[in-house]
Parts: sequence; structure tokens; C-alpha cells
Amino acid sequence: MPPSKPKSKSKSPNSTPTSVNNFAILPLTLPAQPTVHLPDTLAPPKHYLYIKPHEPSAPTPTADRSLFISNVPFDATADSLRELFFEQLGDALVEHVEFDSAVPGTPAVKRWRNGVAGSGSGAKSSGTGTGPATSKLGKKRKRDEGIVAEGVVEDDESRLPGIWPGELRKSGSTAVVVFVDRASCKGAWKAVRERVKSGAEVRWEGGGGVEGLVGLERYKQHNALKYPSKPILQASINAYLSQFTRAESARNRVRKYQRSIPDEDGFVTVTRGGRTGPARLEDAEKKKVELEERRKSKGVKDDFYRFQTREKKKEAEGELRRKFELDKKRVEEMRMRRGKVRPET
Amino acid sequence: MAPPATKRRKIQHRNASSGNDDGLASASNGGSLQENGVANSDTSMVDLEVGTHPSDVEYSSGEERPRPTVDRKKEEKHTNLDRQKKTRLQPGLAERPQDGVYNAEVYKSNMFKLQMDDLLQQVRVKYGKKEAPAEDAMRVLKDIIEQLPNREPQTISDAEKSLETEGIAIPFPQPRPPKDAKYKLQYLRPTSINATGSYPLKVASRNEEDLSIDLVVTMSEALFQEKDYLNHRYFYKRSYYLACLAAGIHNSEQHKFEVSFDCLGGNDLHPVILVGPSRDGGTYDFSISRSVIRIMLAIPESTFSKAKLHPHRNCIRNKVGDEVEGNIGPPTPFYNASVQADASVTAYLKSLHAASVKSEAFKDACILGRVWLRQRGLGTRIQKGGFGNFEWAAVVALLLQPNPKTGGSVLSAGYSSYQLFKGTLQFLARHDLCKNPYILDTQDAEPPKGDTTPMLFDGARNLNLLYKMAPWSYAHLQQEAKLSVEMLRDTVTDNFESTFIAKTHLLTHRYDATLEIPLSVFGPDTIYEDSHRAMFDRCRKLYTNLTRALTNRIVGMNILLPDEGACPVSSQKPFEIRRKSIVVTFAIDAANASRTVDHGPSAENKKEAASFRKFWGERAELRRFKDGSILETVVWSLKESSTPILEQIVRYTLKQHFGSDLADGARFASDTFAHLISPSRNGEQSGISGFSARMNGFAALEKDIRGLESLPLQIRHISAADPLLRYTAVHADSTQEVASIIVQFEGSARWPDDLCAIQRTKIAFLLKLADLLTSEKPGHTTRLGLENSSEPSQNQAYLDIHQPSGFTFRLRIHHDREATLLDRQLKDKTLDGPSRESAASALALYKRTYIQAPAHSQAIQTLCTRYPALSPSIRLTKRWFAAHLLSPHFSSELIELLVARTFLQPDPWSTPACATTGFLRTLLWISRWDWRHVPLIVDFSANKPSSDKGVHGAPLSSSLNAEAVEVIQTRFEAWRRIDPAMNRVVLFAATNLDNDGTTWTDSSTPERVVAARMTALAKAATVALRAQDETFIARALTPAKAPDEDGTDTGIIVPQTLFVSQLHEYDVVISIASKMLKSKKEAKYKNLEMQQGSSKSSHMQNVDYAPVVLFAEDLKNIYGDAVLWFWDPEALDTIAGLWNPISTTQRPWKVKAGWNSVPVIGKKSKDDDQSDAAVDIRINKAGISNEIARLGGSLISKVEVRR
Repeated sequence: MPPSKPKSKSKSPNSTPTSVNNFAILPLTLPAQPTVHLPDTLAPPKHYLYIKPHEPSAPTPTADRSLFISNVPFDATADSLRELFFEQLGDALVEHVEFDSAVPGTPAVKRWRNGVAGSGSGAKSSGTGTGPATSKLGKKRKRDEGIVAEGVVEDDESRLPGIWPGELRKSGSTAVVVFVDRASCKGAWKAVRERVKSGAEVRWEGGGGVEGLVGLERYKQHNALKYPSKPILQASINAYLSQFTRAESARNRVRKYQRSIPDEDGFVTVTRGGRTGPARLEDAEKKKVELEERRKSKGVKDDFYRFQTREKKKEAEGELRRKFELDKKRVEEMRMRRGKVRPET
Repeated sequence: MAPPATKRRKIQHRNASSGNDDGLASASNGGSLQENGVANSDTSMVDLEVGTHPSDVEYSSGEERPRPTVDRKKEEKHTNLDRQKKTRLQPGLAERPQDGVYNAEVYKSNMFKLQMDDLLQQVRVKYGKKEAPAEDAMRVLKDIIEQLPNREPQTISDAEKSLETEGIAIPFPQPRPPKDAKYKLQYLRPTSINATGSYPLKVASRNEEDLSIDLVVTMSEALFQEKDYLNHRYFYKRSYYLACLAAGIHNSEQHKFEVSFDCLGGNDLHPVILVGPSRDGGTYDFSISRSVIRIMLAIPESTFSKAKLHPHRNCIRNKVGDEVEGNIGPPTPFYNASVQADASVTAYLKSLHAASVKSEAFKDACILGRVWLRQRGLGTRIQKGGFGNFEWAAVVALLLQPNPKTGGSVLSAGYSSYQLFKGTLQFLARHDLCKNPYILDTQDAEPPKGDTTPMLFDGARNLNLLYKMAPWSYAHLQQEAKLSVEMLRDTVTDNFESTFIAKTHLLTHRYDATLEIPLSVFGPDTIYEDSHRAMFDRCRKLYTNLTRALTNRIVGMNILLPDEGACPVSSQKPFEIRRKSIVVTFAIDAANASRTVDHGPSAENKKEAASFRKFWGERAELRRFKDGSILETVVWSLKESSTPILEQIVRYTLKQHFGSDLADGARFASDTFAHLISPSRNGEQSGISGFSARMNGFAALEKDIRGLESLPLQIRHISAADPLLRYTAVHADSTQEVASIIVQFEGSARWPDDLCAIQRTKIAFLLKLADLLTSEKPGHTTRLGLENSSEPSQNQAYLDIHQPSGFTFRLRIHHDREATLLDRQLKDKTLDGPSRESAASALALYKRTYIQAPAHSQAIQTLCTRYPALSPSIRLTKRWFAAHLLSPHFSSELIELLVARTFLQPDPWSTPACATTGFLRTLLWISRWDWRHVPLIVDFSANKPSSDKGVHGAPLSSSLNAEAVEVIQTRFEAWRRIDPAMNRVVLFAATNLDNDGTTWTDSSTPERVVAARMTALAKAATVALRAQDETFIARALTPAKAPDEDGTDTGIIVPQTLFVSQLHEYDVVISIASKMLKSKKEAKYKNLEMQQGSSKSSHMQNVDYAPVVLFAEDLKNIYGDAVLWFWDPEALDTIAGLWNPISTTQRPWKVKAGWNSVPVIGKKSKDDDQSDAAVDIRINKAGISNEIARLGGSLISKVEVRR
């Protein structure tokens, strides 16, 4: 592996740019790690946040009191960012944080087709809490809204227990920090720019105080969480299955509705269920084979007329020729690749 | 004597005037001008060209249509001489009408034919500018020889003295001539001097060695008496003659050629002169031709009586008085053939020439044969087997002749070169010429009694073509021929590479075991007369004894003899050879090699029993067996010593029949890598016995689960899907690991028709199963584990079942409706992108876990029982991948496929019989595998004995045919077209069960960088092994000086060195804290701890728990493809990282780089200086190392960033 070349420019901190594309570049000082051994060519560790006011392409109600952060530290949590803004960046109060990635990933919920019944934006932005188990989104939604393409929108009862003590972020991912009000947001943004300008130190503590987010503890806890007790599981399954039955009947209702109501062009959407259920796959396959067979025994044989045999012969010849050309090309390519054909020594 | 003088002048004149270009041509023209008058006179008849004399050429086959002399001359001029035309003639082959297609019969396949053409083009000697100096040198040599004066008859001692003053030692063969010999030695001008051998026949080939061009000097018949064929007299006279020639050339004033003696074909009865270039840059320095001229001697055919030289005659009489009728010694076939060989040089030249005229493809077939032989280490020299280029050509020519007995000929003149080649191989493979001699064209020759030399007797030329072959080298030749015929018969793969390109005689790859016996102990004890033949006799004895002792434990044995090579003309042969060794190589039969009991004859059979007892000495015992028979028996055991049984037998046999000195001095090596994998409980590395406990556990579990009475659904299948259950896990009987199994229930309409709900229903089933199992079958502990938490439509849970025996199994439920539902989602255009992507990955996972893994397990399981060496080879290869920290990137199944390929397509060898050969051949293949352009295709049903089809009842799908291979190839090419940068699929591995080819390698497992590293590592290993082979051979066999005296450096690689990973190539190295390692060590003795009664549940807590692996997985998830992580899942002491050069080079800033970045001032854009300096980003190495330390916490002791 060629080492990526260090830039010839001087390594002084002054050479670090302070802004890019309206983003303020905020260096964070990291907690010292005695186990790390760096080569002399590398500067002491810093983490760089790229921050700017949030400007989503589709406006959202919270956009004007949010900051957008790129290159989030891997151990960032809502709490740790809250702490960062409150204590070091202008006493701003953070309402919640939306991360764009998680390790392990957050389950994606499949939406209703064409968004017919789905207001659910999926659980992508759900990671506001410190752990998946405390996600609030499920609670907020009324059950009838939550008709999704499959399964049910899980709540605390029906959700399978989490198996990781906390979520980590992918390296170089982004987050949207939503403040309690516009003033806090402005204050935070101002503080960020000031810090960048003055070069004053901002520390990153990381971890956010989540027990078992990192270190051996994380894996110990994972090994325990992976195997939930059977009664808890049983209860969760029971809850899920009863919710599922309810959801399924709701879905059927929607389908029935779709089946009976023509849309504005006067077409009726074809959906599953109806007078006769869908054909079983095996039966269909069987039928197909049967039909094929029948056609074989009945149809005109391929070699009935003389022109057919002649054509067949011609075809075979052409095929052979084509294959020969192909082989020739392959050998040519091989020659290009490997050079001359020579016995190995 | 006038005419020759004129002629010589003429030639010289021509040479001077017309330069090099057509010198040879003119010489032959000159020769043919005057040929009529002086055919057999003692004047030097000049003829450098082969068979250009119409009167000389007696076409042995009557079919050759006599043609007018002029015509023939013209033709020969056309084909042989005119160098200018040559350039136009050569490509003629390529210009052959290519009406599309080559018939499969004629050239196997298009690919084969096209590659063969390329090969011939490469290998063929061009007869161009490069070779011209050598031809000039030949002409000069001829002149020199012609001008040598006759020498008067001298006694032997006088002759020796006089030549000594000229600086030449006569290369007398052993035994040296008696001092009191009455006959005299004499030199007379040669009858003729001809170019002979492959060069003028245009069947020569270029390789890395020097081209050898033969010049045959025919001695005058007048030199010999009728009885000179007896008692080496002919050979003494011949040696003297040769020495005179050498003296002439050596002392020639104008031309300083390098002159040395060698033995033709390694036969010391046939000394020859090697003339090398002077290397002084002068006119006759032909070093540019990279060739060496050999001057051989021949006698006219009529010199000695043919009948006296038949193989069954004796020509070496013990004493003078013994010549009484009826008291003649044993037959001396080798000696007789050696005499006869000299008499039939010209005859063979004619015969080969006739064959090349008769059959257009003969020359090419000869060149193909040469390449084939060379890649198999076979050669004309006795030490190389005694079957070389000449023998090949002669056999082809012989087979082209009609066989008077059967009428037709074996090969037809109309055959293509490929057909001739294949036909000859088939002939060699089919006939056992040791047992059934093949005698052509003669009635009176009969095979000598009690001789094991193969016999292919060419009656017309009165010679056994195979006289130099020993039984072992013949067996070797036959085996190679058989293998190659098999390869050529294969209709699916073309096998061109393995037939012609691959070098097959690599000691470490070709053979399973080697035995090296230094000549100092192998002896003949003193340098007594005839030491050569004495050594051969001892080798024969060794061969017969070892074959008898090893019976069917081995399938092949070859003996490699040390070779002396050329020696200077001025001194007697040095006894360098005494420091060499003979090497015996074994190809073992894996099924029989470690058998412990050998049955001998029944005790009642007195004669045989006595012979058996005599052979085995004290080892032979009389035993009574269950069936009531009482047999002589030899019993071996592994208990007394750890030496493998094979070695015990070999050593015992050596001791018994050659004395303990030899037995102690011999070095035996077999399966040298096997000790690197943990042996099974009974101490045996090979085979599958180590897994039997786990397999029994699985069988018991299956029975238990099927026995559960109140299960809501009937069970359809319980299948294994784990390395532990297909004999391929590195640690055979570890209780720490979990073996996956799959359960499929009978179909039911009560399953929900919804992916997520199906997963929950499965959990409900698992809970029920766990309840039933713990209540109905006491002793089992169960726990239910969750997985894939971020993908709700993938499998969500599994059940770990801990058996009383200590093994743990992981059970998942297979429900086939999932596939349909996922497929429907995948094709549902109305669904959003991410959902469809997740459906695709869920479908892939489904197929892998529930369809491919069980099928793969089944197939590998079957193969492991069929090939005892497969399981240890796979484990060894896995160890190798792990040792080089590559395992996280290669799925276990992929590695298994790589090794299985070695066993299923073993060409150019036979199926490996021990772990070492299986592993090394796999490495060799990996090192050659051009995965960018070639898919890996494994046909599980290939190479299968027809008897065991579908043993396990499962539908082992049919073997691959050409169409299926074509389909796979097309699919592979499609992948390369849509993903040329290989971001998703790097390696492509398809089987007859799985045509997709990406099951085990999709989503870049491994990545391209990693695959390249695999290739590089395999290459390095192969190179090291090659070097080892070469030093070994140099030390033991070849004339070159041993690199190191007294064996300090034996050139043997310690197998472990191939398993040491070099960490300095990685950018980041994370050392794991020692206390984490310690816990790993404790785990080793977990079974002991368990026996001491520690609670089972706490034990189960630790099964399959490796925090370091979880940590590494987290790293992988966090850094994506920005950093590549490597670790050894067994040692787990380091995790190494590599900044991915593709994704992390400095680049313009962007919002989502996908990795932790540090901003730097980039280059200003040239156009406008006003704008802000562009900001680039680089990977934040310091920051990332800090993050690693934060994540690892107490797990790690050190994070070191190198670059």
C-alpha cells in the first residue's frame, strides 16, 4: 500500500482552513489516548466538524432552528451533542438530534406503495434517544396511520429487545441538531463562528455518558442483550402477532376499498385478495409444465420440411463459426494479457 | 584422393564469397554432386544435410512412392535449405484455410488449437539469423575433423600417453580397459560427417536451455574386428576415436572452441564431445545462437552382426575361458543396445526423415511431445528417465509404420499434430511394455528373461527404443501419459495449460513423500569397476524391495539419480557424484497409506510364507483372524512412535535389506505441513475422524428433535450448514464453537403471508422447540439469540442448543415462502429504492443461509469422505488464510471451493493424497489464478468414481457440461461488464450446484485489494517453494556444486514460515490487551473446566463470544470501505488496518465523504485567483487512531499508526 502522501505544506494549525462552502470548520480537541502511537509526521489528533445552518431542500417546520453538522464523531449521541452546545457553544439548548446513520443500522420500515396510506417516513430519523429502546416515534403515531407495506409499526410491547447497548455513527456521517428555539440556534451558530475565528479550544468528550457505548463493556452487554429471556420474548411475540392481525385486517380494508373505487381515470387497481385468492405458486408451475408438454406433443415437428433441416444445418454451422471467432478473440485477449504462450520453467 | 580436395576448395571458396547466408546449402549441393562415386570410401564424404542422398535413403516403409531424383532434390531444397523462403514458409501454418471451425476430433477445441499454434510458434526454432553462427561453426568443425590425420595403431597405454601430451584424457567407460589388452587403438578418417538429430529434422525446440545440435561422425568399419562388440572392446576403441577428435578440435589453432566430454543420454558407454562457443567474440563465436554442438560417433550398420546384439544375448563374458557353449553369462540387453544404438544412428535419421515426409504433422507432433516431456521432467538421459525427444520421435515414427501383424498402423499419416500427439500418449498409456513387450518387424528378437526393462523393439533397426528406461521411470512415464490422456479426454475444459504449459515435476507439488539417500551410504562401497551399473543394480533392488513392502500404499514411485554432466577433456571424471544422493519419490494412496495391518500369504502356503518371512524378518507374525484364516502378517502401529506408518515401513525395509547404516543415513519427508493443523484425538492428521464426536452430536440432536412429540408441525429436513459439520473447521473438536443447522418444517397454510410476521412466527416456533427440548430431553440447555436487528425481514432469531456432550448447535428455521415474498418485493416497481435494496440483500442472505449453505455442506461432506486428504487440506489452507489475516475477507465456503477444485480437477497431477500436496497445489493454483479474467468453476460431481453416485440420497445435481460452463462464463463476463472496476464482485466462484457464482463473494468479499494480496502471498509462497525444490535438487542431484557444504543449509523451508504474517505492510496495527488473550487461552481448557463441574450455563455464556471480533466488526461497520481491517480469528492478538487507497486519497471537500476527514488547503484553481483557496480533505489518521482507542477502551493495549 503506498502511503498517502503528506502534503508538502507546513503542518502548523494556521494552515487549516476555517470555512468551506458556507460551512464553518470547527476543530475539536480529543481526549488524550495513551495507547495511541503516531508517527512524527502526523499532527496531534483533532476532530473537525463542518457546521452550517440547516437548509433542507424540502422545507421542514424545524429547519429554521436547526444546524447541520457534517463529519460527526463516531461516538456522538444526542446527549453528547447537547452537552457540547450547552457547555461550550453559547449555552444553546438542543431539543433533539437527527442522525443519518447508525451502527448497527436502524431498521427501515417498508412504506405503503405510492404512499397511499403511509405518512410514516420510516424510522430513519428515529435515533433521537440515546438508544433504540427509548425511541419515541412509535408512540407518537396513531395505530391506524401506521399501515405499512408489511408487518406493523412496532411499539414498545411488540418490538424485539435491542441487542446493542448503544448506537455508534458511521465515520464521516452527518446530523441535524434541532434547538429549542430560533434564538438558541442563532446563538449556537454565532458561538461556533466565534470559536472558529478565535481558535479557542473546544473539547470533545465523546460517549455522551452512555453506559457501555464503547469498550469491552459494549461487547459484554451485547453478549447479554443478544439472548433475552424467554418470557420477555414470548410477550413481545404475542403483542406483535395480535397487532399484526389487527394491521392485516386494516390492510385488507384498504385493499377492499381500492378494489371497489375507480381512480380519476376510471381504472380499478388490481390488488391482492378478492373473490378468489391468489393461485398457489406450485399449481401455476405445474400447469405451465403441463401446457409445455401438450404443445410439444401436438405441434409441428422442427424437421418436417426439408428447408427446416437445411436451415438448421446452416444455423449450426453459423453457430460454430461464431464460436470459433469468439474463441479466437479470447485467445487473442489471453495473448495480450499474458504475453506469449510459453511452457513454464 | 583428388576429388575431395577439389571439393573442399570449392566449399571454402563459396564460403568466402557468398557469406553465411547460403553456405550450408552450397555445402550440401557440393556433397550431392559427387556422391555417386564415393559412397563408402574412406575419403571424407561431405554431407552436412540429412538424407539428401537419394541413394542413402532407404525408405523403410514400402509406401513411399519413388520419385525422380531431381524432384526430391528440389523439394528438399524447398523445405530444408532455403533460408530466404523460410520466413514465407513458417507462417504457412497459420494461413492454413481456416474454414471457421476446427473439428473437435482433430484439434480438441478451437481454443486448444489456437493456443497450440501459438505455442508451436514460440517454441519452434526459427532457423534464422540467430542460428546461422552455429551452423557456420558446424561447418568449421567438419573441416577440422576432415583434416585430422590418421593415427597409427597403438596399444592402450601408448595411446593414453600420447593423448595425455596433447592434453586429452580418453573417456574410457567403466570398467577401464585391461592394461595387457592385445588389441590396438587407431584413428582413421571418418566415413562421413552429418548433421543429425532434431536440428536438421526441424523438430528442435527452444527453451531456456541451450539448443543442442548434433553432428554425427561415422567411424570407418575398417577400425573394428568382427568380435569387437564383445567385452567393451568396441567402446574402448570408440573412446579413443572420440579422444582423437577432441584433441584435434581442442588443439586446432584457428578456432578456440570450448570442448568438453559428456555422456550421450547419461550412458557412460556413449561419451560425446560438447563443443561450445569460444565466447571471444570472434568469427566463430556462436554464443548468440544459444546452442551447443554435440559430436557423436556412429558405425556403419553392417559393422557387427545384428543377431548377436539382440537383447537376450550376452556380450560381456566373464573370463576368457567361459566362452564354451552353454556357459555364457546372463543377457546384457543394455550393453547390446548401446552398441546397436551407435550402429543405427543413420537408420533412425532416415526413418524420422521418412516419417516427416510421409506425415505433414509429424514435426509438430514431435515438438509437442518435446514440450510435454520437458514439462514432466522426462529426458533422454538415463537419470531423467531415458525417454526423451529422440525416443518420442522414434516412437511416433514407429507407430506411423504399418504393423505387419495387425495390418494397419497405430497412427495414420493423415492425422493432425494433435492427433499424433494424443495417439502416441494413448499408446504409451495403454501398453504395459514391461509385461508385454512390443516387438516390431522381427521374429528372432526376444525379451531377456527376468529383466524388467520395458521393451519396444524396433526390428528394422534392431533396437529396443526403451533400453535406457528403468522400471520406475517407465512407470512414471506411463502414469504421466495416462493423466494426460485423461486430461485430453475432458470435454468441458481444454486443459491446454496443464498439458503443455504447467511444469509438473515440482518435487513438493508432485509427490507426497520423498526419501533421500546419500550415495555415501547407498554405495557401491568402493569406487570399484563398473560403478555405474552397480548403482543401477542397487536402485533396482531398492525399487523392488520398496514396491513389495509398500504394496498398495503407494500409487507411484520414482527414483531420481544424480547426474554428472559434462566434464573437461583434460582430466578423468571427478568423483563429485559421491557427494550426491539418490532421491526416491512416492505418490501415496491416501486410502491405504496409514493402514496398520498387512496380510501376507496363508501359513499353509509354505513357499510363499517362507519368502514373506524372509522379506519381513522379525516383523512377520503369524496371526489368526476372525474368519478363521491364519495368515502371515505385518503389523504397524502409531502408538510406539509418532513417525507415520509409511516412514516406519520404508525405514524398516531399508534396514532389513540394506543395513542400518543406510537406514540411518536416509532422510524421509512426508506431509511436512500436516503438523500445523491440530491433530485429531487419535493423533491422526489426515481424514475426518476428528470431527466424529461433533457429527455424532448432530446425529443425536437430529434424532432428539425428530423425536419431539408435540411439535405443531412435522419436520421435513434437518440439514447441516457449517464447517464443523462438513469436516472443514480448523479446530475439529472445539466445544467453543457453534455449528449451524437448518430445520425446515412441512408446509402449512397457517404461516402469515408477511415477511416480518414470518420472522416472529419463527421465534414462536423456536420458543416452542426450546420448551419441548428442555422438558422432553433432559440435559439440553437452550437459549434464544437475536440477530440482524436492523433488517426486520431477515432472519431475526436462532436457537442455541447445548448438548450434554458439550457441543452447541445453532438452529435456524427455513421457511420457503420467504423467497417468494422477497422476490415479489424486489420486483415491485412501486416500492422505494432502499426497501428494494434491503429486499435484495435479504434475498441473497436467504439463499445463502437456507439453500446454498446446506447444499454446499452436503457436497463438501461427501467429498471429504471420498478424499481423505481433502479435509486436512482445507483446514491447512484456512489456517494459511487466517495466518495472513485474510480470513475476515474470505468466506469459509470460498476457501473450501478453492481447495475442492484442487481435488476435483487435479490436472496435471492426480488427486492429492495428503494435506501438504493438497495445500501446496491450491496455493500454486491461487498464485496462477487470474481472477480478473477467469472464473473459478468447481464441478462437485467431476472426477467421481461411477459407483458412488448420490450416496446420501440428496439430489446431487448433474455434472457440468460444456453448455453449463458456457452459461457460467457468460454470467461472469456480464459481471465484469457491468462492474469493470470490481467494486462489488471481485472473485467469481460457481459450482454445478450454484451457477450464480457470486453467492460467497458478493459485495466485495474479498475486495480487490485483498484479492490481490492473496495472489501476491500465494505467489511469494510458491516462489519460495520453488527455490527450495531447486536447492534441494542442486544439492542432491545435479552436477553443480552444492551451495553449502556439509548440509548446514539444507534448503528446506520450515513449513511454519509460510504461515507468518508480516505486519509492517499495514498502516495501522492495533494490539489487543494481553488479558483479552488470556481469556482466549483459558478457553482452550474449557472442556477440562467443564469436566470439573463448572456450571453449564456459565459455560454457554462464553460459547461463541469473542469481544475482539465484535470490536473488529464494529470497526468495519464504522469505517466502511475507507479502512480495510485484517485479523486472524484464531490468534486475535492484532487487528491490522489499511487506509484504502482508492477511497481516501486527498480530494476536494464534500459534505458526505464517508470517512473522518481533516481539511487542508487545496490547490487554487488556476482560472481565478480571487476566489478562496479550495479546501481539500484527507483522511484524519490521527483522529481515527484516537477514535479506535476510544472504541476499544480496555480491549487494546496499543494503537500504532505506521503511515
